[in-house]
Amino acid sequence: MKHTLFLLVITTWLILFLAPPCAAVTQSTPEDKQTVSSSDDASGKEMEKAVDDTPASPYDDDEYGDDEYDYEDEPFSEERVTIDDPLEPVNRVANIFNDRMYFWVLKPVAQAYKFVAPEPARISVKNFFFHLGYPARFLNCLLQTDFAGAGEETGRFVINTIWGIGGLMDPAAGEKINLQKQDTDLGETLGVYGVGHGFYIVWPVFGPSSTRDSATFIDRHLLYPTSYFCPWYASTALTAFDYVNSASLRIGEYESLIGAAIDPYTAMRNAYVQYRLKSVKARRARSLLFRENEIRPSVTK
Amino acid sequence: MKKYILALSLIIVFILAVSAGAGEPTAAVEASVNQVLNVLKDPKLKGPDAKNIKTEKLRVIYKSMFDEMEFSRRTLTRNWKNFTPAERREFVDLFEQVLEKSYLDKILDYSDEKIVFYKETIIAKDKAEIQSKIITSSKEIPIDYRTILKDGKWKVYDVVVENVSLVQNYRTQFNEILADGTPEDLLKILRKKVKDQS
Repeated sequence: MKHTLFLLVITTWLILFLAPPCAAVTQSTPEDKQTVSSSDDASGKEMEKAVDDTPASPYDDDEYGDDEYDYEDEPFSEERVTIDDPLEPVNRVANIFNDRMYFWVLKPVAQAYKFVAPEPARISVKNFFFHLGYPARFLNCLLQTDFAGAGEETGRFVINTIWGIGGLMDPAAGEKINLQKQDTDLGETLGVYGVGHGFYIVWPVFGPSSTRDSATFIDRHLLYPTSYFCPWYASTALTAFDYVNSASLRIGEYESLIGAAIDPYTAMRNAYVQYRLKSVKARRARSLLFRENEIRPSVTK
Repeated sequence: MKKYILALSLIIVFILAVSAGAGEPTAAVEASVNQVLNVLKDPKLKGPDAKNIKTEKLRVIYKSMFDEMEFSRRTLTRNWKNFTPAERREFVDLFEQVLEKSYLDKILDYSDEKIVFYKETIIAKDKAEIQSKIITSSKEIPIDYRTILKDGKWKVYDVVVENVSLVQNYRTQFNEILADGTPEDLLKILRKKVKDQS
């Protein structure tokens, strides 16, 4: 599907950031389990509302103590995922700025670009820029002690440079070779080492992030070849081109996210936190140093 | 000899029973998804006039695939207690409308992307998580369905798209609104949202 089912995808800026999910997940304090309300009561009500088509009891009974949901969801590791947001007023303003920037600037430019450039070309450009990120991803894999991942990234780099025409194509991800992207960055590395995500920050232009994930700026700037183009405006232009290209492939996702949301700001913040948390967990499971901590299931009854 | 045959046949029956059970959630979800795809790909329903017919058909499939109660209650958790039965009914109804209006156009825009179901994890005796992927030309989108077994049928109660759980996301939004508002405030916001979306 062009515009996918039940989409809660983060905006382009977020994906490009990929700050590491934070490990600081807060557990809700378990309340006293509610006792099951008498079934006589429920059946009595059902008798009364026999004429009513919709079943009365699910709406009336308090049998489902909410704690039951908290426990039952633990196998899915759905702890209460929260992030502090002391800068909320500032963040909301930045969010509005980004929203306007998307609708007034980025989207029109991306749509015009999409009109003139065919999709395969734009996918190649996306692959090319992703390819350039190899040094950063490789280093972060090493720091996370994910040597298998570092190896995969190196394999991808070599194969895609030679057989992928300098990174424009992605034969390494094909079925026969099947080397997967290790899309990680400095923020995730810090997360793997247990650094908490800090608090939520919405950067103008760059989008949602957190104090920890803002470290990603460092490796994006130092380790991406595009930053080393001498006149500063050349490297900015290249980065801007990368953004517009990515946006052109993802038109409609941001709109779905805010369209489906009751409160777009909270929706984005929560989606961001969930996404990063899962990413860091996934990275930790691959890390030689930390994987033991990840495999332990967190089911409590 | 007879004992061996009996034992063997029992073992075979058990294995078949277990494997049949293991595939049920995936089979249920996959069947619903295929029904949706059939509606979307139906050559008789092409064109803008057919949109209402398609919407009606999709709504029917949605009701059989999803467990609205589980879905809605999980977005409210603790706050469910503070709603009167009438408010709860309205909430479930409004929430369904919000979801429908938000996602219907995207679903109707489907055009031959591949959907692959590749993993099933049985978590508890009545819960399972099914992992699938939508493969488009430019990317792969992981979608997980969390299902619960109720009255012998597996129904979806949460959808996780790219590691973001829908239930969790709405739960956070509703919690914020209900932290300094009443259930009526939430219902007002939902009513307004439905009105704005139509």
